[in-house]
Amino acid sequence: MSLSAPSRSRFKPRARLERAVSAWARSRQGEDHAPLTLQSRRIYILPTRAGLVAFLLLFVMFLAGLNYQNSLALLLCFQLVGFALVTMYECHGSLNGLTISSAQVESAFAHGHGELQVGFYNAGSTTRRSLRVRATEVAPKFFEVAPHSACLVSVRYQALSRGRQRIDRLQISSDAPLGLFRAWTWLHMPLEALIYPAPIRQRPLPPAVGLTQHSERERRLSGEEEWAWLRPYRDSDPLRRVAWKAYARGAPLMVAHYDAPAGAQRVLGLDTLHDLPLERALSQIADWVLECERRGESYALDLKQGSVAAGHGLAQRRHCLEALALYEPA
Amino acid sequence: MKDTPLTPKGAEPPPAAPRNVPIATQRWVLAGLLCAVILNVGHVALWCLPLATGAAAWRIWAAQQPSRLPGRAARIAVVVVLTLAVLISFRTLNGLDAGASLLVAMAAIKLMETQRQRDWLIVLGTALFLLLAACLGAQSLWLMPFYAGELWLLSTALYALGAGETPPEGRSLLRSSARSLLLALPLAVLLFLFFPRLPGSLWTVPKEDEAVTGLSDQMDPGSIGKLIQSDEPALRARFDTALPRREDRYWRGMVLHTFDGTTWRRAQRNFGEPLALEFAGPDYRYQIILEPGTHGALVALDMPHGAPSDTSLGFRNFDDQLIASKPTDSAISYRLESSPRHRNTDALPLPVRRLDLALPRDRNPRSIELAHQLRAAAHDDHAYVQAVLDYLQNNGFEYTLTPATLGANSIDDLLFDTHQGFCGHYASAFATLMRAGGVPAHVVTGYLGGEWNRIGGYLLVRQSNAHAWTEVWLDGVGWTRVDPTAVIAPDKLHNDMDDAVAAADGSGRRAHGAPWIAATVQVWQAMNSWWQDQIVNFNMERQLDLLGSLGLRDRDYEALVGILAAGGTLWLSLLAWRGRQSPQGKPRDPLTQAWRILERALKRVASPRAPHEGPIAYGERIAGESPGLAATLRPLARQYAQLRYGATCTTSDLQRFERAVRLFAARIRR
Repeated sequence: MSLSAPSRSRFKPRARLERAVSAWARSRQGEDHAPLTLQSRRIYILPTRAGLVAFLLLFVMFLAGLNYQNSLALLLCFQLVGFALVTMYECHGSLNGLTISSAQVESAFAHGHGELQVGFYNAGSTTRRSLRVRATEVAPKFFEVAPHSACLVSVRYQALSRGRQRIDRLQISSDAPLGLFRAWTWLHMPLEALIYPAPIRQRPLPPAVGLTQHSERERRLSGEEEWAWLRPYRDSDPLRRVAWKAYARGAPLMVAHYDAPAGAQRVLGLDTLHDLPLERALSQIADWVLECERRGESYALDLKQGSVAAGHGLAQRRHCLEALALYEPA
Repeated sequence: MKDTPLTPKGAEPPPAAPRNVPIATQRWVLAGLLCAVILNVGHVALWCLPLATGAAAWRIWAAQQPSRLPGRAARIAVVVVLTLAVLISFRTLNGLDAGASLLVAMAAIKLMETQRQRDWLIVLGTALFLLLAACLGAQSLWLMPFYAGELWLLSTALYALGAGETPPEGRSLLRSSARSLLLALPLAVLLFLFFPRLPGSLWTVPKEDEAVTGLSDQMDPGSIGKLIQSDEPALRARFDTALPRREDRYWRGMVLHTFDGTTWRRAQRNFGEPLALEFAGPDYRYQIILEPGTHGALVALDMPHGAPSDTSLGFRNFDDQLIASKPTDSAISYRLESSPRHRNTDALPLPVRRLDLALPRDRNPRSIELAHQLRAAAHDDHAYVQAVLDYLQNNGFEYTLTPATLGANSIDDLLFDTHQGFCGHYASAFATLMRAGGVPAHVVTGYLGGEWNRIGGYLLVRQSNAHAWTEVWLDGVGWTRVDPTAVIAPDKLHNDMDDAVAAADGSGRRAHGAPWIAATVQVWQAMNSWWQDQIVNFNMERQLDLLGSLGLRDRDYEALVGILAAGGTLWLSLLAWRGRQSPQGKPRDPLTQAWRILERALKRVASPRAPHEGPIAYGERIAGESPGLAATLRPLARQYAQLRYGATCTTSDLQRFERAVRLFAARIRR
């Protein structure tokens, strides 16, 4: 599925023009692969609105100097014109030679925002300022790259509906140094995000299989969660299961590990959700996946096309959500 | 489930966060604005500087407490009040002074609501316009460093604003803006010299009369005294021949004929062709650069042979005045030839005789009485002139710039009561006595003296050299210059006006101290005059002259546009070339430098390293392609990988690697 801008801007002439120009740029630049270094062939530059106003003011200054036949006023005006043109080159130069070292996109939930990470390297000897990177219509992010150094910039993109979403183009722009000009470049990289169904809670969790009703209820009632043993913290562990009290006493970060009875798991599937439309049902399963993860319970996914064996943790979560994202009814 | 981290969201993107303006940036802008107001302090309303200072101080204070910005109603009230204040100060909103004051007021108001970057940009734009107003207001050379500094300050503020929320430190901002301004300078000079100028104004602009000091087209006893106070240059003369002697440095300006008892005025109509002249004595050929403000008179060394060689500039009047054809509201230059001695060969026409004998009725009866007495005792006109001069010399007349005020019978008061006056008074009295005695006479105003500037190679005549003398008609000789002031203050003829004034007032105004001071002053004056002539007064004619001196035969707009296009292209390509150089600078890291040397050398024997190839893979590939190099290349590639990605990398390792690479590269090249 290709990215299309939200419909509300479809009729805006400016957005349309930008799309047309970027399509033209796509056809002349071809597909890009990181790492790549920006060359002037692919950097475009135009005055910003502030720049247009500034040139209007300069013209007024020029008229004043001409009319008063005042050499000094004209000299000032000409100096400012030259200054503005120099900053135009600086603006262009803040992109020219910038290296895009990597670009990768993270999955996201439908209609939410996903993260896109772009790595930059500045081989030049001056700081590149007021850079912005923009994926879709989400607010761009400002950043700068110090001389001879690299940086990784995360930028949000607007996730559309479930499935595969191609980020057709990235725009990297700069209005350094004065904001009178804006230089930009379009990157067309093979960036594809998996869009998970948006989690929507409509039904309670299906009961766990292999766990007695009693112990489940007991655990609910006891109020405080019981855990069997502590193990060292790993990156993917949910923060709510960290043994903060032990940590406060000086122990390393530990995570409570529940000793679930062997085979106790929830099987998440479409079976009980026949009455819901497909997308709603998938959204419900996504919500269950998140809920199980939150509780730290083991769960399995049972879809007709692809099933995921029981387990938990970030990998399990990802497998399940990916299966949901790519699910297509037979 | 309250804490579900991801709930479905609408497609509405969050608005872009407004870029706040940091305090440091605000200070840059405020400093720029304040300096711009200070540069205008000479011609804006008095309240402008306190207002701007107050607004800036308040702004700095308010920056610490964000909710203090006043509301809309308060701002509108301030707009109305300040606009009224400008109206009251100047009775108009038009014109440079009122406009600049209004700009200051608007900037102060804008400071009350500046929050976003855009608002600060507006304040900065206002400051730039104030700088323009300062340039329009005053163009003296000594102001230039201040204007340049202000421009630097404002561009630095622009850089600070452009850098957003995390501006670099002040020193680096100053450096960036200075670099950009310097890079812009060649284009500015090119445009200045070759951008087509207009022959006149696009629309008429109000001229402020009082700004210009110069010869008045009438003379009452006070008018020259006012001029003598001014140190402004009046004219500069470059001589092709030797300099005129000091006593010959009478610069003729205006000839005044009609007298109403207090004021001398020019003739209202033309009395025909100028009289024929016969010249004697040395010829002086010279060029005059005349400052504006002479009311259409072209000043010339007494007595010019004729109108300027460029006849479009002016003509010679019946009374040997040179009259400019166009209003002289900017400096003009013209060439003349003069001789100090001359003789009229014709008789004086009757209408002119009548004009130069007329006296107001019922005024100055005692003076007329005195004239009759002296006339009766003298046997001819020559003797009469001498008798009047003797009278002035021997009756205790005093030269002073601050004489007592004269009444309606001004000549009577001067001759019989006050006995005090300066050149204007004595010229007026002498001409009156002459006319009363039947000798045609008129008053001539102009300048006396001139200071040689060795560095500039010109004679500088200042407004303070202003002088008035008379010319009387003597049969057989014609118009003869008589300077009654020379009898009363003889020093005046031999020294500069200053010395006469100093002698009269007991104080000198200009320093005549150590020689190095005088030398410095002369250098400064020469620079000033160059600045005035070449930069401030650069206009369309100068521009076309410049084209001519560049050897272009077609002195027209097409030539200008051609030069502009060529120069502009050159400048732009230099900028572009510089832009290509800077971002790809030499890598600082010596290891990378060494590796680059290796890669460059290997380009001769194999295809360059592909972007995906690591150093070891690259080394292996080339070792496979050309086995002769393998023995050295393999260890080098490994060593590089070790140094680059290994745990330690000491300086000696680095040096050894570098040396090995250089040796290897040299081997390949051979």
